[in-house]
Amino acid sequence: MSSLATDAPHAPGPDDRGAAIETTGLTKRFGARVALDGVDLHVPRGSAFGFLGPNGAGKTTMIRTLLGLTHASAGTMSVLGEPVPERRAGALRRVGAIVEEPRFHMHLSGRENLSIVAAVRGPETHARIEPALARVGLAERGNDKVKSYSMGMRQRLGVARCLLADPLLLILDEPTNGLDPGGIQEFREMIRAMVEQEGRTVFISSHLLDEVEKTCDAAAIVDRGKVVTQGAIAELARGGTSGEELIVGVDDAERALVVLDGNALVREAHRSDEGIRVLLAGDASTAALLNAALVAAGIGVTRLEPVRQSLEQRFLEITARLDSDVEPREVRS
Amino acid sequence: MSAAVLAQMTGADFLKLRKKRGTLIWALVLALAPLLIFFIVRAAQHSSSPLAHPPAGGTEGYVDGVRIIALFFGPLAAILIGVEGGAGDVAAGVFRDLVVTGRSRTALFASRVPAAVALTWLVIGFAYVLLVIGVFAFASGTPTPSTGTLVNGFAFSLLCSGVVCAIAVGFAALTGSRPAALTALIGWQLVASPILSGISSLGSSRKLLLGDALAHFSPVHVGGRAETVTMAQGTAVAVVTVWTLAFVALGAWRTRTMDA
Repeated sequence: MSSLATDAPHAPGPDDRGAAIETTGLTKRFGARVALDGVDLHVPRGSAFGFLGPNGAGKTTMIRTLLGLTHASAGTMSVLGEPVPERRAGALRRVGAIVEEPRFHMHLSGRENLSIVAAVRGPETHARIEPALARVGLAERGNDKVKSYSMGMRQRLGVARCLLADPLLLILDEPTNGLDPGGIQEFREMIRAMVEQEGRTVFISSHLLDEVEKTCDAAAIVDRGKVVTQGAIAELARGGTSGEELIVGVDDAERALVVLDGNALVREAHRSDEGIRVLLAGDASTAALLNAALVAAGIGVTRLEPVRQSLEQRFLEITARLDSDVEPREVRS
Repeated sequence: MSAAVLAQMTGADFLKLRKKRGTLIWALVLALAPLLIFFIVRAAQHSSSPLAHPPAGGTEGYVDGVRIIALFFGPLAAILIGVEGGAGDVAAGVFRDLVVTGRSRTALFASRVPAAVALTWLVIGFAYVLLVIGVFAFASGTPTPSTGTLVNGFAFSLLCSGVVCAIAVGFAALTGSRPAALTALIGWQLVASPILSGISSLGSSRKLLLGDALAHFSPVHVGGRAETVTMAQGTAVAVVTVWTLAFVALGAWRTRTMDA
């Protein structure tokens, strides 16, 4: 994809007040089924924010509700500081969105599809068509009919359509669906450039944990219509605990546990399949002091490795815990 | 919303329809082919037996041609275009992408009607040009319609096709389904409406039928429905207006309230 920007990074203005997205008690019911259950969400500006959850968790319903494609049953929400749906038109003026897969008039060219949206957005938007096509690397294919585009090209055309708004906020629903690994990498770089170089906020809903971890600064984990937790990616992966965790390999585990239990640098130590898992009271630099203490006690240290917990592990822990909470109720009903 | 934005949106909707090759070709076929067949057959009959068959053109040919364009095949072309205009965005899945621009849904609907009517009138215009050429080319010395009649006949053709097209846009938006809207509207136009109009026991209630009300405005004697159900000018205006506004309003309401 081209690195050309559509516009200079936007100047701060009235739209820069408040969070990019803020919801309080947002609820959406379809008959008896609750798709969103009192969602409280805070998406800070100028970040890539992941909205993470398994299929059917309520991610797309959340996006559709935020964009006014369907009505909320209860709760309040604001987009770019504007209350929605009360001031929906003003809120969406600087929002670009792809909901589910990007859809187009297949009998029209990419450029014509953009011109239709530009006509709806307003006269000033037409000037953004060419830069937007260039930004996503479709300038040379712009006159081809969309039906001849690959899935990846349609995704990129969807992003170009978003850029017509010169968006302060992009809302992308499962944006890497159907992309090959190269396309995913390009897409990730484009998202990061939009956030870091252009100051835009990108809200990405996805069930691909690895993708969110690599692309986003912060995330919320949603399941069964509820936001289970939200925060910076690193915090989420650690599960809210402070301190580093180590795996320590030693030649005498019994004695090592005695040494570790009596050490002020150690918050907790226990045996595991991989060795001894040690939760440090301080940061990772204390691992060297711990190593020295073990060696001084005459214990041979064969391994000293920090535990890198991924968002995926954390996500699976959370959803597994929810499953175990829910199962008894389901059995009774 | 400014008039300039509405004009741009209408232009965008016109582009979508104009580039929908299948719809446009079939609309042209429906509008032009029956006239061509009519002139070819009538001209062949007249040349083989001039005494038994009148010329294909002239005033008599013009009346038949107006009936074909305004009351039968022109409305079918209008239905094709109107249904595409009313349900095209939903069918292509792009309606939600237009909604997320923040533009009001009423405006999104409002721009479809003039775009569809404009394309319909373009198609009807081609058909009418063909009719006028045929009327004069095959007159064979018989009287031809006056300029005033030609102008009124054109206005009548535009009225009939425009009204049917606007109703089709509204009905298609209401159903959200092109196949369902096409089936219902063509079925009504070709089958249900003529049958109801022909049931004399229905009496003056047949004035409520759109086709009978539209036929009332014909500048020439198109026969059939215009003569079987007579009504005052005001009644015809009211019936046409109510039909048009009702379906346009229903389409706008559905566009405003549907989940996108």
